[in-house]
Amino acid sequence: MELNDANLQSLTEFLRKTLDPDPTVRRPAEKFLESVEGNLNYPLLLLTMLEKSQDTVIRVCAAVTFKNYIKRNWRIVEDEPNKVSDQDRTAIKANIVNLMLSSPEQIQKQLSDAISIIGREDFPQKWPDLLTEMVTRFRSGDFHIINGVLRTAHSLFKRYRHEFKSNELWSEIKLVLDTFALPLTELFKATIELCQTHAADVNALKVLFSSLTLISKLFYSLNFQDLPEFFEDNMETWMTNFHGLLTLDNKLLQTNDEEEAGLLELLKSQICDNAALYAQKYDEEFQPYLPRFVTAIWNLLVSTGQEVKYDLLVSNAIQFLASVCERPHYKHLFEDQNTLTSICEKVIVPNMEFRSADEEAFEDNSEEYIRRDLEGSDIDTRRRAACDLVRGLCKFFEGPVTAIFSGYVSSMLGEYAKNPGENWKHKDAAIYLVTSLASKAQTQKHGITQANELVNLNEFFVNHILSDLKSPNVNEFPVLKADAIKYVMIFRSQLPKEQLLQAVPLLISHLQAESTVEHTYSAHALERLFTMRGPNNTTLITPAEMAPFTEQLLNNLFKALALPGSAENEYIMKAIMRSFSLLQESIVPYIPTLIGQLTHKLLLVSKNPSKPHFNHYLFESLCLSVRITCKANPTTVSSFEEALFPVITEILQNDVQEFLPYVFQVMSLLLEIHSNSIPSSYMALFPHLLQPVLWERTGNIPPLVRLLQAYLEKGGASIAGSAADKIPGLLGVFQKLIASKANDHQGFYLLNSIIEHMPPESIIQYRKQIFILLFQRLQSSKTTKFIKSFLVFINLYCVKYGAIALQEIFDSIQPKMFGMVLEKIIIPEVQKVSGPVEKKICAVGITKVLTECPSMMDTEYTKLWTPLLQALIGLFELPEDDSIPDDEHFVDIEDAPGYQTAFSQLAFAGKKEHDPIGDSVGNPKILLAQSLYKLSTACPGRVPSMLSTSLNAEALQFLQGYLQAATVQLV
Amino acid sequence: MAENAGLENHRIKSFKNKGRDVETMRRHRNEVTVELRKSKRDEHLLKKRNVPQEESLEDSDVDSDFKGQNVTLDAILQNATSDNAVIQLSAVQAARKLLSSDRNPPIDDLIKSGILPILVKCLERDDNPSLQFEAAWALTNIASGTSAQTQAVVKSNAVPLFLRLLHSPHQNVCEQAVWALGNIIGRWCFFRSAVCVCVCVCVYIILTSACPGDGPQCRDYVISLGVVKPLLSFINPSIPITFLRNVTWVIVNLCRNKDPPPPMETVQEILPALCVLIYHTDINILVDTVWALSYLTDGGNEQIQMVIDSGVVPFLVPLLSHQEVKVQTAALRAVGNIVTGTDEQTQVVLNCDVLSHFPNLLTHPKEKINKEAVWFLSNITAGNQQQVQAVIDAGLIPMIIHQLAKGDFGTQKEAAWAISNLTISGRKDQVEFLVEQNVIPPFCNLLSVKDSQVVQVVLDGLKNILIMAGDEASTIAEIIEECGGLEKIENLQQHENEDIYKLAFEIIDQYFSGDDIDEDPSLIPDTTQGGTFNFDPASNMQTKEFNF
Repeated sequence: MELNDANLQSLTEFLRKTLDPDPTVRRPAEKFLESVEGNLNYPLLLLTMLEKSQDTVIRVCAAVTFKNYIKRNWRIVEDEPNKVSDQDRTAIKANIVNLMLSSPEQIQKQLSDAISIIGREDFPQKWPDLLTEMVTRFRSGDFHIINGVLRTAHSLFKRYRHEFKSNELWSEIKLVLDTFALPLTELFKATIELCQTHAADVNALKVLFSSLTLISKLFYSLNFQDLPEFFEDNMETWMTNFHGLLTLDNKLLQTNDEEEAGLLELLKSQICDNAALYAQKYDEEFQPYLPRFVTAIWNLLVSTGQEVKYDLLVSNAIQFLASVCERPHYKHLFEDQNTLTSICEKVIVPNMEFRSADEEAFEDNSEEYIRRDLEGSDIDTRRRAACDLVRGLCKFFEGPVTAIFSGYVSSMLGEYAKNPGENWKHKDAAIYLVTSLASKAQTQKHGITQANELVNLNEFFVNHILSDLKSPNVNEFPVLKADAIKYVMIFRSQLPKEQLLQAVPLLISHLQAESTVEHTYSAHALERLFTMRGPNNTTLITPAEMAPFTEQLLNNLFKALALPGSAENEYIMKAIMRSFSLLQESIVPYIPTLIGQLTHKLLLVSKNPSKPHFNHYLFESLCLSVRITCKANPTTVSSFEEALFPVITEILQNDVQEFLPYVFQVMSLLLEIHSNSIPSSYMALFPHLLQPVLWERTGNIPPLVRLLQAYLEKGGASIAGSAADKIPGLLGVFQKLIASKANDHQGFYLLNSIIEHMPPESIIQYRKQIFILLFQRLQSSKTTKFIKSFLVFINLYCVKYGAIALQEIFDSIQPKMFGMVLEKIIIPEVQKVSGPVEKKICAVGITKVLTECPSMMDTEYTKLWTPLLQALIGLFELPEDDSIPDDEHFVDIEDAPGYQTAFSQLAFAGKKEHDPIGDSVGNPKILLAQSLYKLSTACPGRVPSMLSTSLNAEALQFLQGYLQAATVQLV
Repeated sequence: MAENAGLENHRIKSFKNKGRDVETMRRHRNEVTVELRKSKRDEHLLKKRNVPQEESLEDSDVDSDFKGQNVTLDAILQNATSDNAVIQLSAVQAARKLLSSDRNPPIDDLIKSGILPILVKCLERDDNPSLQFEAAWALTNIASGTSAQTQAVVKSNAVPLFLRLLHSPHQNVCEQAVWALGNIIGRWCFFRSAVCVCVCVCVYIILTSACPGDGPQCRDYVISLGVVKPLLSFINPSIPITFLRNVTWVIVNLCRNKDPPPPMETVQEILPALCVLIYHTDINILVDTVWALSYLTDGGNEQIQMVIDSGVVPFLVPLLSHQEVKVQTAALRAVGNIVTGTDEQTQVVLNCDVLSHFPNLLTHPKEKINKEAVWFLSNITAGNQQQVQAVIDAGLIPMIIHQLAKGDFGTQKEAAWAISNLTISGRKDQVEFLVEQNVIPPFCNLLSVKDSQVVQVVLDGLKNILIMAGDEASTIAEIIEECGGLEKIENLQQHENEDIYKLAFEIIDQYFSGDDIDEDPSLIPDTTQGGTFNFDPASNMQTKEFNF
C-alpha cells in the first residue's frame, strides 16, 4: 500500500462506511479494513488521516481504528508471523509521541492508549528513547502537552500497581525512576507554584489541577512496589505539598454539580490513597508525617458536605482513618475522649445519615438499593466507610465508643419520637448506628454471629423495632419498616426464639407492602428464619408453629409476586421454595391452586428467561410440589403431568436453552415416581431426547443421562418392544459420551442402565461392538476416571450375564484378551474404585470370576487366580488408592464421578442412589467365602493349595476371617 | 510404607499452585536482586576504611620543616622522586596527609598529577619500610574513593606489590597492605550490590576491560594473585587486635558477592579460619566473621554444604541469643540462608536446637529482627512435615500469627509466607492446628494490602486450608466469611492481576456458592444434523491388536 492520496481517499471512504448504522454497509467495510491491515504502510495511512483529515469524525475514527489495530497486531507471538512490518514499527514509534501531543484531546487519548500498548511490548528495550522524549516535553510549559505526557505515562506505569514483583519489572521501574522521578518532582513543584500565581484564573487552574491529579496518580504507581530511594530522599517535598493540597480550597474550583466529583475532590481522593499507601507499606519512613495527615484528613471530613460528588473522597478519607486507628502505635492519636467524641459526632454520625440520594434509590431503584444494603456491594459508600471506622475504633475503644454512641442513639430516637413524620430519618440513622456498633462478625447463613456485648440487642428490639413491625399501616415510613425487618433478619441468631416467633406473622403481613424494598426484605427475612437450625438438626421454627400462619404466608408470598416490580423477584421465589420445604405435607391442600400459578409463571418467564436465580427457585418450588404431594399419594403424579406437560412441551419446542436442563430434571423426577411402567406420553418424547443437538450442550448432558436412565429403568422392556429401532441411537449417545474425557462417566451411567434394564436379547447383537469401543478408548486415551468406570461396568456385566459370558466375549474379540484385562487393568487398578455401591459391584463381579469361571482354573489364566483374589482382598481391606498420574492433573475432570454431578442441579429434584445388586448380597466378604467354599467342594484340594502357595500372609489372614464369619471351611 | 510416601508426595504436588511449587517455596531473602530501596543495610561493611589523619605512628620522623607548610602538588610530585630519602619520605607523607583530610581529599587532582606510578614505585622499596608504609597509606586512601579512583590504583599495577608487602617483616607495612587490598576487593562489591542491574552491566564492562589479569572481577583478580594464604597466615594468637580486625574485614569482602561466588578453593581455604574466628571475643571480629558466613551461605546449596561440612553451624546457632544485636542480626541472616537449602541442610540447623532461640527473636524489640526471624521460619514451614512439626512443637505458631496480625508490613508479609507454606507442606492435622490458633482472621486481613504478591500468597494459603479441611470446608468458609475475608475475596474478583482474580473466583466458586447456584449451564448451540447419533464403532475400527 503506497502512502499516497488515492489510498488515503479510499481508506477514508471505508472508514466512513464503518460508521454506518446499516449493517449491510458497515460489515463489508469492516471486513475490508481487516483484510488490508496486514499491508505495509496501513498504520501510517491511518496516522496520516488522523493528523490531516479535514473531517473531525474521520480523524477520531482513524484514531480509534489505529488503536484497535495496534491492540490486535502489535504483540509478536512466538511461532506466528510478525503482523506489523519492522519498517512500520519504526516509523510509528518515531512519530507517535509527537503526534499524540499535538492532537486534540479526543485523539490524544486514543494515541495515548496506543502508546501504552506498544510500550507494554517494546518499552524499555525496544523503545529506549520513549521516556527521555516524553520527559523533555515537561519543559515545554504547555500544559496541554504536559498532560498528554502525564496521561501516557500513567497508562504505561499503572501496571506497577498490580503486577507481581520480578527482576524484569523492577529493572524497568528502576529505569523509569532514573529518568522520570526527578523531572516529575520538578514538575510537581512548578505546577504547585503556578497554581499560586494563577489562583484567580479558573481555566488555568483547571488544567493545572488535572496535571496535579495525574502527577499524584503517577506517584502512586511509582511508589507501589517498594519505596524508591529517590522518593525516600524527597519525601519532605512530596508530603509537604500533598499535605498542603489536602488543606487547600479554592472557590473557583468548586463545582455546582452535585453528582460528579470535581477536580479538587479527585485530587484529594488520590492524595488520601497515596497517604494510605505510605501508611500501610512504608510506615517506618512515613511515621513523622502521619499525624499531620490524620489531622488534615479529619478536618477535610468535617468540612466536606453531604453531596454525592464528595462520596469517593469522603469514603477514601474515612477508610484512611479506619486503617490507621486500628494500628497499635497510632492508638494515641485517637484515645483522647474529646477526639473520640468529635470523630463520632462530626465524622461518623453525619455520614450515616440517610440522604436524599438514598431515598431516591429506595423508591426508584430498589434493586440497586437492595444490592448495596443487603448484599454488601456498598464498598465505596459513605455509610459503609463510617461503619468500618466504627469497627476500627472499637478494636481499642469499644467501651468509650459504645458509650458515646449510646448517647447519640437516645437523642436521635428522642428527636424521632417528638415528630415521627418529620424526623423519621433520625431513627433510621439510630438503627444503622446500633447495627454497625453491635455487629462484629456476620455470615449470609447465620446473620450476625458475634455481637458487641455492650449493646442490648433484645431490649432495642422490644423497645424500638417491634413497634414499627406492629404498626398496622404497612405502607407508612417504608424505610423504617425495611430497617426493622432487616434488624430481625441480621440479628436472627442473637434474638431469642420467642421474639422471632412473634416477628413471623408481622413479617408475613409486610409481604403486602407496596414498597419493593420492604416486601423483598420481608420475604428474605422469612426465608432466612426458615433455614435456622434448632436442636437435633431440625429447623428452629417447626411446621407446627407455622400452622396458624400457613395459609396467609402462602397467600401473601404469591400475592407479592403480583406487586409492581416484583414479578420476577428472586427473594420472594426463594421464600416460596423455603416455605414449601419447611411446611412439607401441610402445603398439600394448597398445591392444586398453587401449581397453576407456578406453571403460569413458568410459561411467562420461559418467553424471555432473564433472572437465573428466580428461575432456579421456581423450578425448585415445582419439584418440591411434586415430591411432597406424590410422597403422600403417588397417583397424583398424573395431575402434575397434566399441568406441566403443556409448558414443558412448549419449552422443548421453542428450545429454551436455559431451561432444558431443568425440564429434564423435572421430567426425571416425575418419571421416577411411576412404578415400573412408562406412560405413552413419555414414549412419544423418547426419540427427541436422542437428538444430537441436545447432546452438544454440556449443561444438558447430566440431566439428560439421568432422564434416559429413568426411561430405561421404567421402560427397558417397552423400548425393546416398541422402539427397538431407537436402540442404535441410544447406543450412539453412549458412543458420543464415551469419546469425551469429560463425559465418559456419563456414558457409563447410561451403559450400566442399558445392561441392567434392557432385556438381554434386545442388545445381544451390539454387545461385541460395545466392548470394542471401550477397548479402543482404553488403548488410545485411558484416564483414571475412565478405568474406574470401566471396572464397575465389566463387573456389573459379569454379575448380570455371568463370568463365563464375560470371559467369552473378551476372548472372542482377541485371543487371550480376558487374561490381559485381568492382568493389566483389573488386578492393578481395582484398588482405585471408589463409592460403596461401585466397590460392591466390583467385589461381586470378581468373586464370580474367581469361582464361576472354569477357564480361571484350568488354562493359562490360572496363574492370575491368586493375584486376582489378592486384589479383591485388597479392595476390601486397604484404603482407597486415590493417586492420579501426573499428566492427568490438569484434565478437566468432574469431581466425583459418582451418581451425582454438578451443573444447575436442582436440590429438590434429587435422585436416590441406586444399587443394582441391592439386598441380594448383604456382605460381599461372606459371598466370597461361600463361593470359594462351593468352588472347593467342586474340585477338592485345589483351592487350599493355590492359597497356600502364593497368597500373601496378611491377605490369607483376612480371608480366614471371612471364612470363619461365613462358618465354612475350604476342602 | 514406601507406597504411602509416594502418595504423600503426590498429594503435596497436587496441591501445588500456579507460580509456586514445592521447589520454589524456599525463598531466598531477596528473590528480586534489583533494589528500589535505599540500601542501608550492611553499611558498616561497605564503608571504606580511610586511615584517619590523627595517626601518630611515625610522625616523629617527619621533617619538621615540612610540617605545617603549605605544600603544592608540584612540589610533592617533584620531591617524591627525589634521591634524598628524607625529602622523598616527607613528600610521600605530605601526599598521604592531603589524602587523609576529612573533607574532600583532592584525590582526583593527585591522580591527574601522575603521582600513582611514583607511589607504586615506592612500594618496592624494601630498603625503606617507612616509605613503603607512607606510600601504601596514601594508596589506601586513594583506593577508598570512588570506583574510578580505586580502578586507577588497580591499573597502576599496585595489587601485586601490595601482595608482596604482606610478607614484609614490618607489621605496620603488612597492615597497611591489608587495608589497601580490602578497599580494592570491597569496592567492586559495593557497586555490584548497590547499583541497579543496568548500570551495573556498564560498570562491569568498563571494569573488565580495565582490570588486568584473567578474572572478570577485581576480587577474583586479587585472589588469583594469591591473597588468601598470606592473609590467613596473620591469624595467630600474637596478632594485635586492631590488625586482626582488618584481616577479618578483608575476609568479609572476599566472601561478599555471589554473582559469581568466590572460587570454591578460596571458600575451602577461608572456612577453617572462620571456624577459628567465631570464638573470638572481640565484637567487631565476631560480627565480621558471622557476616562472612552469611555471605557464603547466600551462594547456593553447594556453598551451604561447604559451610555445613566445616562444622561451624553448632557454634553459629547459639549466637542467635548473643547479647549484641549486631551479632544476632548477622547470625540470623547466616542461619536463614542455610535453611533456604535442601530439607537435609535445613535439618542440620534444626538439629542444633535453633528453634529454642526464636521466642526471643520473635519478640525482639527490633522489627528488622522479627522480620528476618519470620522469614527464617517461613523456610522451615516450607520443609517436610517433621520440620513443620518442629515449628509447632516449639510453640512458635501463635507467635508467627501474632506477627501476622500486629507486625510491621514487612514482617506481616513474611508471616503470610510462613503460614501459606505450612498449608502446602503440612499434614491435615498441622493445618488444622493453624486454624485452631485462629490464623484465619489476621490472614484474611492481609487480603486488602497493596501488594499483589502477598494477596496471592494469602489466597493460595486459604485455598489450601479449604482443600485440606475436606468435609469441614464449610466450617472454614464460615470463619472466612465472619471475619470479613469473603467480602475481600469477592472484591479480588475485580483485581487487575489475572492470577489473583482467577484464584479468587475459583475459591468463591468452589466454597462460597453454597446452595445458591449461580452458574447457568453453559449452553453452546451447535448446528448438527437432526436424527440421532450413529452407533457404529466398526467404521473406525482399528485393525491393530489391543494392548494395554
